[in-house]
Amino acid sequence: MDILSFGQLVVSGAFMGLVYALIAYGFQLTYATSRTTNFGQGELVTASALVALSITHLGLPYGLMLPCGLGFGALAGLAMERTAVRIALQEKSEGWIMLTIIVGLFIHSTCENIWGQADRPFPTPIPSEAFQVLGIAITPLELSVALGALGVMGLIELFKRRTLLGKAVQAVAADPEAAGLMGISARRAVMLSYALSGMVAALAGILVAPITTVGPPMASGLVLKAFSVAVVAGLDSGFGAILVGMFLGGLENLTSFLVGSGWRETPGLALLILTLAVRPNGLFGRAAIRKV
Amino acid sequence: MRRFLFLRGAEALALALLAALPLAVHTPYALGLLTLLPIYGVLLIGLDVSVGYLGLINLGQVGFLGLGAYTAALLAIRLGWGLLASLAAASGAGLALGCLLALPALRLQGPPFALATLSFSALAATALNELEGLTGGARGLSFTHPACLGAALEPRAFFWLCLAVLALVWTAMRNLLAGHPGRAFEALRDSPIATDAMGVGSYRHKVAGFALGSALGSLAGGLYAFQFQHLQPQVFTHEFMAVLLLGVILGGRRSLWGALAGATVVVLLPNLLSVRPVFSVLAGAGLLASLVAGVRRLRRRTVDPFRALAPICATALLAAGALLARRTEDWRLAVFALILFAVVVGLPDGLMGFAARSLGGMLRVPPPPLPAPASLEQALPLRLPAPGAVLEVEELRRHFGGVKAVDGITFAIQDGAIHGLIGPNGSGKSTLVNVVSGLYPPSSGRVRLRGARANLPGLVAAARAGIARTFQNLELFGGLSVLDNVMVGLNSGFRQPLALTVAGLGEPGERRAQADALALLAFVGLEGQARERARDLPSGAQRFLELARALARRPSLLILDEPAAGLALPDVRRLIGMIRTIHQRGITVLLIEHHMDVVTELCHRVTVLDGGRLLAEGPPEAVKRDPRVLEAYLGLPGEPGNGEGTP
Amino acid sequence: MGSPPLFTLILALSALSLRAGDTLLIALTGAFSGGSATQGTSMRDGARLAIQEINAAGGIPVGRHHLRIRVLERDDEGKNERGALIAQELASMAALSGVIGTVNTGVALAGDKYFEHKGITKLVTPCAGSQCMAQWSRAGVRNLSIFRFGVNDGIQSAMAVAELTRRGLTRVALLHDSTNYGVSGRDDLLREIRAQGKVQVVALEKFNMGDRDMTAQLLKARTGGAQAVLVWGQGLEAAIIANGMAKLGLKVPLIGSSALASSNFTETAGRNGNGTLMPETFIEEPINPPVAAFLARFHKAYRVTRIAAPMAAAQGYDCVKIFAAAVQQAQSADTRRIKEALEDLREPVAGVIAIWRHPFSRWNPADLQTHEAFRQDQAVMGMVLDGRIVFSDPADRDRLSRATTP
Repeated sequence: MDILSFGQLVVSGAFMGLVYALIAYGFQLTYATSRTTNFGQGELVTASALVALSITHLGLPYGLMLPCGLGFGALAGLAMERTAVRIALQEKSEGWIMLTIIVGLFIHSTCENIWGQADRPFPTPIPSEAFQVLGIAITPLELSVALGALGVMGLIELFKRRTLLGKAVQAVAADPEAAGLMGISARRAVMLSYALSGMVAALAGILVAPITTVGPPMASGLVLKAFSVAVVAGLDSGFGAILVGMFLGGLENLTSFLVGSGWRETPGLALLILTLAVRPNGLFGRAAIRKV
Repeated sequence: MRRFLFLRGAEALALALLAALPLAVHTPYALGLLTLLPIYGVLLIGLDVSVGYLGLINLGQVGFLGLGAYTAALLAIRLGWGLLASLAAASGAGLALGCLLALPALRLQGPPFALATLSFSALAATALNELEGLTGGARGLSFTHPACLGAALEPRAFFWLCLAVLALVWTAMRNLLAGHPGRAFEALRDSPIATDAMGVGSYRHKVAGFALGSALGSLAGGLYAFQFQHLQPQVFTHEFMAVLLLGVILGGRRSLWGALAGATVVVLLPNLLSVRPVFSVLAGAGLLASLVAGVRRLRRRTVDPFRALAPICATALLAAGALLARRTEDWRLAVFALILFAVVVGLPDGLMGFAARSLGGMLRVPPPPLPAPASLEQALPLRLPAPGAVLEVEELRRHFGGVKAVDGITFAIQDGAIHGLIGPNGSGKSTLVNVVSGLYPPSSGRVRLRGARANLPGLVAAARAGIARTFQNLELFGGLSVLDNVMVGLNSGFRQPLALTVAGLGEPGERRAQADALALLAFVGLEGQARERARDLPSGAQRFLELARALARRPSLLILDEPAAGLALPDVRRLIGMIRTIHQRGITVLLIEHHMDVVTELCHRVTVLDGGRLLAEGPPEAVKRDPRVLEAYLGLPGEPGNGEGTP
Repeated sequence: MGSPPLFTLILALSALSLRAGDTLLIALTGAFSGGSATQGTSMRDGARLAIQEINAAGGIPVGRHHLRIRVLERDDEGKNERGALIAQELASMAALSGVIGTVNTGVALAGDKYFEHKGITKLVTPCAGSQCMAQWSRAGVRNLSIFRFGVNDGIQSAMAVAELTRRGLTRVALLHDSTNYGVSGRDDLLREIRAQGKVQVVALEKFNMGDRDMTAQLLKARTGGAQAVLVWGQGLEAAIIANGMAKLGLKVPLIGSSALASSNFTETAGRNGNGTLMPETFIEEPINPPVAAFLARFHKAYRVTRIAAPMAAAQGYDCVKIFAAAVQQAQSADTRRIKEALEDLREPVAGVIAIWRHPFSRWNPADLQTHEAFRQDQAVMGMVLDGRIVFSDPADRDRLSRATTP
């Protein structure tokens, strides 16, 4: 393999990896406030992208479609919280794992019936001609993915640290009961985190759809990869997810080249199981001690 | 006897009915469906071990199904193995791979575990798809099933073979789960820490349980392969997994009948969906049931309104879909999801749990009578303390990050003594005890129990070496009965060969164990509540239960961590009497307490800790007058709140 | 028609079928959803149009009655196990006269054995995998009720390699998917390339259905110095390949199978698909009055301006016409009689692809052409241009036009 091919594979893979990192970021948002992760996140990505697709088919320009799609994602996140997560949180059980899977399944089936089982092309105003940087081809679409992902993550981090509402959410993340005593509603914080997580999922879907086409089959593959990124980085690691996402994306492409395209997901999955076994809190996460 | 006849009779009747069905069924399609029933039954029984008994969300069972199917098929095609040998090999492969996956995965709980199993399924599907030279990849594998013991099986005979496998698996699992392994599974779900502290390796049992479930999944896979005689990797998807979870949860977890009921639903559901009138009726019935139940719950306000309303919404959606959808088969996943949602939220025990609750009242089969309690001498044999220390602690340190919870403590406990450990909150008492009992490893220093090596690695090793303990925050096995809690502790006394338990011959051993357990319960005054669930006891009784459970270990060192906390005065007096008796049986006691009167009355020596360091040590009277102890813990004369009792 | 007993039998059977009602039961099956849905639904729509026209004209004249066609539709979703289940279900129906359809090779392999076992007549279209028919000669079947109405991969691969030679291209990269279709297509192509001897395969790469990034495979093609890329797979994956080629600057011809002639390729590849070549039996252009009339009727009936997969639609249409002609010749709705008539169609059938003169003959396991309707000279190379499939070589327009003119 020559250096140019290596570079191309790594760079293209890293761009895709940012999408995984974006979805993983959505996991981190909900984990921070409620110690839950949405196992139906992949379906939220797909459903939001399909809704955005229908909006463009209705004739709306891209600039209007984007906020509508994000709005739908936020609503879907709220719906997920209300139906699948709240009851489990109230009873301090882990039922949300099963329930988010179930709600995801329902969304999947509904999408299949409304939009069909096959993938469809997604229109975009961004030009598709690639340009060369040091001999490596990059398309404006890939750049938009990177900018969108990093931009949104940066914005949300700013919101968390600079605004009062964001600090309230962080307080809930640190200690829900103490925050409650201070007058901060833990339930509202969880709702907000799920709405943000849904919005982030929608953005990921809309960004990546022009490259990969959009349809119900994309959900399950995406969610597992995003989970790999989230877990390997650590569910409370913030920007660590970006590094791990880019790494896993590049690794996928290299594996595809060296071993075969069918094996591309294997290193990520193996890394996930290994990390869970050896460092369950992730590479950048923090461990907790159990008190008896 | 009546109960035995009733249960076994029901099983035999069901088996006979199923066996007779092929004689009434004529089309190959219907026979094929019928054959799927025992196959899914075995599969769901295996899944129930991890989902029901171990309480884990196992998303990997479909991977084991696929691997078992391909293993059996390839052995038959490439190596010409017979039917039974292929099936056995498939189960073996499932067992081995299950162990392999379980070892890393079972260090995790909840969501990370679910993820690890999901990854395993994805890896399995990838391997099956990519190893084209071996498996035919995406194109699939077509074959005919091999002969069984030399005779080619026609479809009906194959059905009977599957039914026989189900019957065997059923019997083995029933015996296994009724005996000690079943108890261990339930115990480790309620409190893995206490399970380890009772010498029952929770990790080991989890791995064994998971591997068992995987082996059953692969066995079902082999039968599946030989039934369809065509395999493709694309079949074993996460959608299939959702269907399996539906079966287990709808049928009812922790129940063999539930697995069978779930298998029936899963097999029949696609057909029910395509016959619209039947589906509409069922959906309507479901709506009615959830309305009735929901309204009742709302009126009684026993549960959160969501649990009453959500099933109604879900079944209403289902009924609407039954009437409005053009082709219900297209919505099959949504139907599964709605049913699963309604069941998980509204009927967590599944159909069988509901049936047991409602029919149990009607049929009222009493549990078998318990044996007479053994004598205390038998349950807790007299132990002769040897001269010298039973426990030596040398320069023990335990840090948590920057916090020095235990900072260089040296003391020894004489064999046969009652040794007190007191000090203000945060002085390191519980940490010290946690290190001694093996929950945490020391940061430095040595803990040495007589007759064992220093610094035993973990709770299980410490328990096996002769340490038993109670917990400051109760760690009972809430879901188990009072009797079963003690019987978990008894485990190593009555270690039976597994084969005996599986074969159903473990009854005499069980009864001996029950007699001993009852003796201990009588000792703490709980023998009347032997069959009650532990979590239903009042907290005072729960503390005594923990004591009885710890005694079941026949320890050389018994550690009691604030056993009198929250006890009313009469119970405190009973506790003091019990500890005295324990002392008379020759067991060394390490007692952490805030009740100074208890300490003064019972202890021969008292160690005082403060800030992770040893403050004073000696007989209780001397320690009580030590000025340093007074200043740090008991209060100086003239200060408010001074004197005997809790500070 | 020979001995009296046979004659009586035929008469009795005809009487039976007539008494069963004045309908002829045909099943239409294929991938109406999923990745191959474009081909499946277009085939179905073409077939439905023909059935509608026949029924509107009163039905097929059999004896003193006219049989109207009644259709049973079954969606196999492109999945092999569903195909097998559907085939089992259809094969157990007593009154079924015939089956038309199937898009995916794997589905044909999984299901057709049930039809063959019961002797039910099936016209396979547009499925192109060679294995669909080769499986029967391999199994040594003597009496076959399965026919194929489509240009098979043997012909398609020969055309692809011929195109390469015509353009003087000697180094080619071959990308195929991992399904039965892709693998058997790869085998056909490699055989053709070996036989022809002038082309060298510099990269042989596989991809899975659902893969959305072909960078690795295309890099291998680029470093191998490929002058053309051959792709055997479904439309969407081929479009991803076209987009990948544009991104990596691999500006070489892309030649694929007939599966590319569908909207899911043209819409997803967009401009990057222009110039892609694939074998076709039908181009959506009004090359002469009969074809123009068919296009007009199709557009009007389904309210579209473009057919999603034109070849599949035309083949579905012509299949029904040929089947109806066989029913009329056999003067029976019995599937076995229809099969015999198909093997010896005496009257020409005016289709939109060609005027069919004796397309099939008695099954001979050593000669697959006996149950294959198409020959190489009936296919042309189509080219993608701005979302439509057009003639790559204008001279082909006249050739096809002559084929449909009486």
